[in-house]
Amino acid sequence: MTLLAQIIANGLMLGALYACIAVGFSLVWGVLNVINMLHGSFIVLGGYLTFFAWFHFKISPFVSLPIVCGLLFVMGYFIQYLAINRVITRPVLTTLTLTFGLDMILYNFMNLGFEATPRRVSLDLGSLTLGGVILPVDRLLAMLLAFGLTGLLYYVMRSSRIGRAIVAVRMDRDAAALMGIRVGHIYAMTFGLAALMAGACGTLMSVVFPITTNITGLLLGKAFVICVIGGLGTVPGALVGGLALGLTESIVGNFMGAQYAILFGFLIMLALLITRPTGLIGKKGYE
Amino acid sequence: MKLKPFITLLCALAFSTAAHAQSVIKIGAPLALTGGLADEGKKQKIAYDMWLKRVNDAGGIQVGDKKMKVELISYDYQSDEKRAQQMAERLITQDKVDFMTAPFGSGHTKVVAGVAERYGVPVMASVASSESVFNQGYKFLFGTLAPNGGLIDAMIETFGKQMPQVKKIAILGREDVFPRSMAATMQTAAEKAGLTVVHSEFYPVGALDHSASLSKIKASGADWIYITGYTKDLILARKQMADLKVTAPVVTMITGPAYQEFIDALGPLANGVSSTTWWHHSTQYKSDDVFGSTKGFYDAYVALEKSDPDYVHASAAAALIALQKAIEKAGTTDKAKVRDALANLDIVTFYGPIKFGANGMNAGRDLPIIQVQNSKVVVLFPESVKQANAIAMP
Repeated sequence: MTLLAQIIANGLMLGALYACIAVGFSLVWGVLNVINMLHGSFIVLGGYLTFFAWFHFKISPFVSLPIVCGLLFVMGYFIQYLAINRVITRPVLTTLTLTFGLDMILYNFMNLGFEATPRRVSLDLGSLTLGGVILPVDRLLAMLLAFGLTGLLYYVMRSSRIGRAIVAVRMDRDAAALMGIRVGHIYAMTFGLAALMAGACGTLMSVVFPITTNITGLLLGKAFVICVIGGLGTVPGALVGGLALGLTESIVGNFMGAQYAILFGFLIMLALLITRPTGLIGKKGYE
Repeated sequence: MKLKPFITLLCALAFSTAAHAQSVIKIGAPLALTGGLADEGKKQKIAYDMWLKRVNDAGGIQVGDKKMKVELISYDYQSDEKRAQQMAERLITQDKVDFMTAPFGSGHTKVVAGVAERYGVPVMASVASSESVFNQGYKFLFGTLAPNGGLIDAMIETFGKQMPQVKKIAILGREDVFPRSMAATMQTAAEKAGLTVVHSEFYPVGALDHSASLSKIKASGADWIYITGYTKDLILARKQMADLKVTAPVVTMITGPAYQEFIDALGPLANGVSSTTWWHHSTQYKSDDVFGSTKGFYDAYVALEKSDPDYVHASAAAALIALQKAIEKAGTTDKAKVRDALANLDIVTFYGPIKFGANGMNAGRDLPIIQVQNSKVVVLFPESVKQANAIAMP
């Protein structure tokens, strides 16, 4: 019984970490219809910034979190404003190629500057035990962050001027422009927000996971699978997708062996693509 | 008028190279300096150059009653197997090298060794650990690494002695060439040694989480947890072990603590983790080679590169030391005689003992078993260089 509870707890905590990875990616894909190949590198960059702030200046990851978020937001804003906006109306393959190229540049700069050595903020926050179930504190924080980010995004999209503008642009770009919305600025804000979320995830990952440039592709792949499972076009999609994937991997890993865990994640993705292309809770028209 | 000094210079050069050619030993080195194996190829080059400089500064290798300088001819084969073969041919037929070194990895070593065998050129392999390279019946191939199995047997024996309470082992391996082989070999060796394998599992490349496997290992009650993988997998596994309160008296991670970044990334969590490797700079061998001792090699490397050397560097330098010793013993550069001297070699180098077995692999090596104690790597085995006894995981 305790083991079963532990398996579910492991799955939920892993799922929350996955949701953190995917939430920014889902936003850009859903709103801008851009498959952002830079996303994995953004997360790793956030992780490295946190690591070096901690290693050289002894800045705690909790303090550097807002700083990293701010830096990534500015970076994301300008990448969209100066580069991606120029091809945003072209077919999705064009923007994909552009972000792929930008990712190669960023990746190689990081490789050159930071090397591929795995690094980790060796801060151990310990674990809580609740009725025999062990809950690592840093993973609980990841869960909190995932819910927090999703909640915040939900609020921004629903209630703020900028959020309404983002939704309006997604619905009809030309009509939104006629209503006086600066479309280029809104796109850049969206991309900046996504980069901010990647940065926040990176900060958290640097405590949980060894950061190395080698994992950018892995993170991007996870984000992709989660978005397909959860569905696009709704804010909680990434959260649902992440939790579903985390639970699947934990349960399959326990009962069938770790080597099948990732395989099953992909099988679910394939099954959903065939039977339910919108994902678990995605909106029609966004697939 | 103005040409005269040039002609004089050219003549002088021509004479000097002619004289040079008679008293120089040529070693050919196909290296992967670009492409996928570039990092590893560069490691070999650094070690070769360190050895070369010391030998030539000392006047060269003693051959009979004269000293001969050494020239290293290296080509970049771009991590491409076909080019490795071409470069080996070229080194032997055009550059007329006396001896050769093999490139990085078992696959490319096999290719180069095949060419060298045809021409009867002794070839020194420093980074090939698969027995499938050495069971081809090649007479001219010699390797300084010991077989993978050797790493594991020594470990089971050492922990059997120093931690006799250990009876149940849990094995978790990465689905990848070397980590998989190290996990599979452990399973057979552990069963043979009378240990109970209470858990055995592989995790896929790209796993971001080990909590499922670790929860099962915890339930299995193992007192030896043995995990193989690359540094980032092992850091994550150790971190999650702490999170999920999974522990055992012996925790081995292949080859985690052999790399400084493993210890840096884990901090106090690295303490107690043991491993094995072909060489570690904490071993302290005294030797009469160009480096004098393990410390001599370590200091020279650190002065040059500002980082710690790993087994690739050491094995590459040791391969050339073995060749040097064999030439000195043979008293000639005759390829067949040097080959015989290599086959009968039995020496201690800064890298440890070298004695080639019948298949050409280094059989005289007591492979170091290491453990992190107080954030420092200490040697548990072999006895001759032992620094501490194994301690149970805190």
